[in-house]
Formats: sequence, structure tokens, C-alpha cells
Amino acid sequence: MSFWKKIALFLSVMGPGIITANIDNDASGITTYSVAGARFGYSLLWTLIPTTIALVVIQEMVGRMGVITGKGLSDLIRENYGVKATFFMMLGLLIANFGNTVANFAGWAASMEILGFTKYIMVPLGAITIWILVTKGSYRVVEIILLYACIIFVGYIISGVMAKPDWNTVVKQTFLPKLQWNSEYIMMSIAIIGTTITPWMQFYLQSSIAEKGITKEHYKASRLDVVIGCSITDIISFFIIVTCGTLLFPYGIRINEASEAALALRPLAGDYASLIFAISLANASLLGAIIVPLATAYYICEAMGWERGVNKTFKDAPQFMWIYTLTIALASLLVLIPGAPLVFLMVLSAVINGLLLPFVLVFAIFLINNKKLMGEFTNSKMYNYISWGTVIAVICLTVAWVITSIT
Amino acid sequence: MPFFGELFVSEILKKPVLDPKGEEIGKLKDLVIVKGEPLPKVSALIIEKKNKIFKLPWTDLNIFNKRIISANVYGETLQPYELNEKDLILVRDILDKQIVDANGAKVVRVNDVKLQGYNSEAVLIAVDVGARGIMRRLGVERGGEDLMKLFKKHLPYNLISWNYIQPLEPKLTKISLTVPRQMVSELHPADIAEIISQVSHKEGASFFKGLDVETAAGALSELQPDVQAAIITGMETEKAADIIEEMPPDEAADVLSDLPMDKAKEILESIEKEEAEDIQELLSHEEDTAGGLMINEFIAYLPETKVKDAIMKFRRDAEEVEPVYYIYVIEANEKLIGAVSLRDLLLADPDARLTDIMETKLKTVTPDTDEMEVAEIISKYNLVALPVVDTEGFLLGIVAIDDVIDRILPPAAKRKRRKV
Repeated sequence: MSFWKKIALFLSVMGPGIITANIDNDASGITTYSVAGARFGYSLLWTLIPTTIALVVIQEMVGRMGVITGKGLSDLIRENYGVKATFFMMLGLLIANFGNTVANFAGWAASMEILGFTKYIMVPLGAITIWILVTKGSYRVVEIILLYACIIFVGYIISGVMAKPDWNTVVKQTFLPKLQWNSEYIMMSIAIIGTTITPWMQFYLQSSIAEKGITKEHYKASRLDVVIGCSITDIISFFIIVTCGTLLFPYGIRINEASEAALALRPLAGDYASLIFAISLANASLLGAIIVPLATAYYICEAMGWERGVNKTFKDAPQFMWIYTLTIALASLLVLIPGAPLVFLMVLSAVINGLLLPFVLVFAIFLINNKKLMGEFTNSKMYNYISWGTVIAVICLTVAWVITSIT
Repeated sequence: MPFFGELFVSEILKKPVLDPKGEEIGKLKDLVIVKGEPLPKVSALIIEKKNKIFKLPWTDLNIFNKRIISANVYGETLQPYELNEKDLILVRDILDKQIVDANGAKVVRVNDVKLQGYNSEAVLIAVDVGARGIMRRLGVERGGEDLMKLFKKHLPYNLISWNYIQPLEPKLTKISLTVPRQMVSELHPADIAEIISQVSHKEGASFFKGLDVETAAGALSELQPDVQAAIITGMETEKAADIIEEMPPDEAADVLSDLPMDKAKEILESIEKEEAEDIQELLSHEEDTAGGLMINEFIAYLPETKVKDAIMKFRRDAEEVEPVYYIYVIEANEKLIGAVSLRDLLLADPDARLTDIMETKLKTVTPDTDEMEVAEIISKYNLVALPVVDTEGFLLGIVAIDDVIDRILPPAAKRKRRKV
């Protein structure tokens, strides 16, 4: 195959991996990275390396299942583990993803306020826009728009460069970290992993690969898509930490929200940095508000066997469209109600996500080693060691994260 | 003769299977399915004991119902079984699988499978695709039903008859229907009737319970008289009355005429008075005469009515009346003087009067006219409906062409002999 043919092939397969991984940097992800940078400077950058590796290992497996079986993850869980396991998992994910969606709309509202728009107009506007995009658009159109929107994440790289960090220190701290042994530091490093590897991503990635109809022959291109996506997402995370670590950390500015980071940047780095940060947050939040409800609709419909897909209409796939519609409507409404228990919801969703992740990952590993499903594409022995190791490590850290976020 | 009645597969999974002395041979793990006429049937049970798997042929079973499964052989004699791809195994291959319709669109998943006793075999009669199936699997079916009762609602059975499922092959990844999915959710009453006519009375009756009144009424009128009678007799009077009330009066009368006298009376008493009177009137005619065929709902206006007013009135009245082909024109004393076809009505000048455009040379019959004669008149004059009048010319009702055709050429469900 010629070089250009390969490029063309990759471009046609590209999408699911890059989008899924990028949207992983949604409002709550960006909050975590900003807070980490402001509180600990560059000293948490090293966590991104193991996180990236774990992300690639897990997403590759899920992506492979989507390509080979042509089915979503909850399809496979329902067919192989029955109603009970599926039902409780779906219920948990529904609640957790609703919380995630609320977090994203809250991020969107906060960034709009920074940019000088009132949230009472911008939240409904954003909700309606993404609703129309998915219910009226086709899969390809939605995917192209999402891919372009992913480019806006570059804003974080620009702001990172504009911050003029001392690159020597940055590189040194990344590869030769000075670990700290206090509880806040450990909690923060666990939080970075917890917010990067989430249950919904696994479902969304596999479903969108299945809906895209990528075949065995194109599996390698699809794998590249996944690997590139995971790398980009952590490069973005890297620059968010660098920005906040360079500009906020030296002044000891503590923040709790990604939007606070954008505000705090204004006096220190000027209007542009603040603007870029706010726009990027708005973009990430809105993307998250599309993808997380979409993932919810995908896996519930798959589990129940209902027709699903962005390409379908309300008439063809009523349950799919209604789940998407209601999640967005309720979440955006909740953000606008003064005094709504947003923080409680977000913590609850984080906890449920953390509790579900072990099950999702263990199911995924069992499924990918099922010869009946995967044929010759099961994990190799070596890969199984790596994936079990990764999964067990992630599970331990997530459990620790859940415990810390409750207490 | 191990199996009568019906059960859902999820109700018997993991149940102990007993030997003749009452000792446990193992737990039920799965069921082997083979092709059968008319429906696939269970050929063996797969039993698990201490991680070993055995096969128990159906013929070695003694009792098989949702409480007790017992064999007439002992555990030692059982053949070990190795899971293979060639056999069709119910839990592994059918349960939880995706159902797609004839066009490949996803419909729903198999939440449960219903077995039915038939000639002492267990056949696969239907797949449960509803919330009930999910709840049963979760062990909360009873609770779900109680909850719905609080809201005065009935938790519906949502079953797809096996008739609509394409023959199963081993190693299948999805289950296909033979019809587009719109048809499954809105099964035509005639199709439902055909399913019912192929199963036992008991199954038919339980199938009926799951239908809404409107669908049930439609399906009932498509059935053979003795099946109708059996199903209605087996129902609570109130529910039966609801269904009968929903049917066109002529068909309701047909159903009631085949019931035992006291049951018919009981049902008539629970029906709304006006409707009951209509039915009673029809009941007084012989079944194979125009009077027995006719329906006493029709639309009739006075001769002076303007066309535009007639159209307005028609819009309102036609909702109540089932078949409308003509608007009849009657004098104030209800004597029939003419008829206007809907076509002529729509094409006429809005300000014209019905008397100007009506057809006056009407063919009519009296209630005691033989059904064959009615058919001949309809055929000869190419009519779609024939008015029935008494000797003095008062309009009593109409015989519609579809009722006549049903008499000469009964629908499949009425024709086919029941298999059970």
C-alpha cells in the first residue's frame, strides 16, 4: 500500500479513538489538572506517563472488541453475563453519567460567565445546539464536527507555551519526579487517574467503532486512532498542568474549579491566556455534554436491544433519542436552578464511576479472551499480563480514590 | 407425559433436578432445543453438578413443571455432556440475544423464553421481550406487578409468538423476525387470531389477557366460533364485556350467540345499555340471514340536508360507526328513500341537498333473506354495502361486503383447524 493510500485509509477510520480520548478531558478532567498544577506545580506531571500507558492498554482492548465483534460493550456484557449484571451496571452508569453531564453543563455555564455571557441564555442555547446536532445530524457529520472541536483543545497547548515555563525543569520533573508523601499529594495523583480512565469511555469507544462499521482489515488503522487519541489527550493534560504550574503555583493561588483558573490567569498572564483558558473550557464542557449523554444512550439501548445510533431518527430509535434528550434537558435545567445540589451529584457520580470501573474492566478482559467472540484476536499471553497488571493497578487506585472522595 | 401447562425458562433455571428417590442429580443449567412441528421443542436438559455437565434426555423425565423437575433415572446413568457449537442451547444461544426484524433493524432483546406443553413435549411458544421478562429475571416480577396495581395499571405481557421467528440455526448471533418491526408492535388482529388459533385454548386465553381491549376485540372477531366461545367463557365477565363492547355489534352478536345462555346474559348485562340493545336486536335474527349478517350502525340523514352540512356531520358521526360506504337518506319517520356514496357526496355542489344527488333505485333486502342471496345481490350490482329494511321500508341496518366475504370465504384463522 502506498503511503498516501495509508493516510487516506487512516483518515477514514480516524475518529472514535481521538474523540473519545479528547472528551475525556471534559470539565471535571480539566478541573482536576488545573487544581493539580496550581497546588503542586510540575511535581505531578509524571503521573501522566503511567496514566497514558494504562489508557492505551485499556482503550486498545475495547476498540479491538468493537472492530472484531461489531457490537458494543454492553451488547457483549448482556449476552454473556445476563440481565442482573447488566441491569445494575446500567443503572449505576445512568446515574454516574447524569452527574458527569451536570458537571459539564456547570463547566459550560462557568466559562460563559467568564466570557461575559449570562448562563441563563447560554446554557439553554448550548443544550439546544447539541440536541439538534445529534438528533438531526448523521454520524459522519457529528463526528467531523467533534473532530474539529477537538482542535480547540490546542488552546491549552498555546496557553502552556505562552506561560513561558522553564522547560528544563518541566522535563526533569516529568521524568525524574520528586515524590511527596503527604495525603493531599497522593490523593491528587489518584484523582488524575480516576478522572482519566472512566467507565463511559469504554462503552462509547466500542459503540462508536461498532457504529462506524470498522472491519478487521482496518483494525490497525483503528488502533492507531486509539493510540493517537490517548496520547493527545494526555499531552493536553500535560499543558494544562504546566500552565497552572507555571503561572499559579509560584504565587500559591489555590483554586477549586477550572473556571477559577481562567479567572486567576487574567492578572498574571493577561487577558489572552484567560480567554484561551475559558474558551477551551467552554469547548471541552460542551463536547462532554454531547458525548457523555450519547454514551449513556448507546449502552442502555444496547443492553435492552433497542435500535440505536446517531444516524437514526426519533422514529427508528425512539429510546435512544429520548435518553439523550432527557439527560441533556434535565442536566441543563439543574445547572440553572439556584441551590441545586450540584456538588453532591458530582461526587456521587465520581463514586459510582469508581465503583463500576473494576467491573467494567474485568468484564472487558474476560470478553476479550473469549475465543468464541474474538477468534484469533484474543489477547496474547504477554498482553494479558500487561492488561491484568494495568487493570488491577487502576482498580486499586480507583478504590482508594473513591474512599478519599467520600471522606 | 412429563409436561403440561406453561412456564418461563428463567423460572426453572438453577432448579434442582431430582432422581426417583428425591435425591438431587444436579442443577438445571440449560436446555437443548431441536426442530419440531409446529414449533421447536426441548430435547434434553443440561444439568450441572460440581462443575461437571450432564445431559438428561427429555424422555427420561418424570415431572417437569415450575416447581418440580424429576427424572426416572439416577445420576450415575447420565451421559456427560460437552458444550459444543453444533447444538442449539437455549440459555447460551437464545436468551439475551438481539432480535432484529425482517429489515435487520434492532427491535429488542430476548428477556425470557416461554415454554408450553404440547403432546407431552415442551415447545418454545414465545419470547418475552417486555419489562415483565426483565423483572422476572431480576426476581421482582411480583413486586413490579404490585407497584403497577398501586397505579391501577396492569403490567402487560409483551410476548412475540414463535411463529414470527425465523428458524434458528446453531451459532446464531441474533434472532430474526419474519416481519418488519412495526408489525410486531402493532400486530394486525388477524395475525394475532392466527397465532391463537394455533395454540391451545388456555394459551390463547392467557395471550388475550396481555392484549389491550381494542386489539383483543379485533382479534376475537377473526377467530373460529368455538375458539371465541372458549376464550370468552374462560375470561372474567367484566373483561369479556369490555372486549365485546369494543366489537362491532354484528360481530359481538355472533360471539354471544355461541356462548352458553347464562354467560351471554351475564355479559350483556355488564355492557352499556345502548350497545346491549343493538346487540340484542341482532341476536334475534338467524345467523345465516341478512339479519344475522347486518350491522345496525349506519349513517342516515334527512333529505333536505345540504351537502356541506352532511359532510360536517359526517366527520363527527363516522367516528362511531365502523364501516361507512354510503350515507343513507331517510325520511323523518326513518323510512329509507335513498343513498349517497361518499364519492358523490364529496364531488357534489356544497349547497345542493341530499335529495338532489341521492340514488333512489336502491337494492334492499329484508332481515330473513338468505346469506347466499345477499351475496348474490352484492356481487351482481357491485355493491359494497346493502341496506336491510323491514317490510314497511324502515332501515334496520346494513350488510357490509367484508362480512359477506367472511361467510363465503372464511379468513385463515377461522378456516384452519386448531392444532391442539
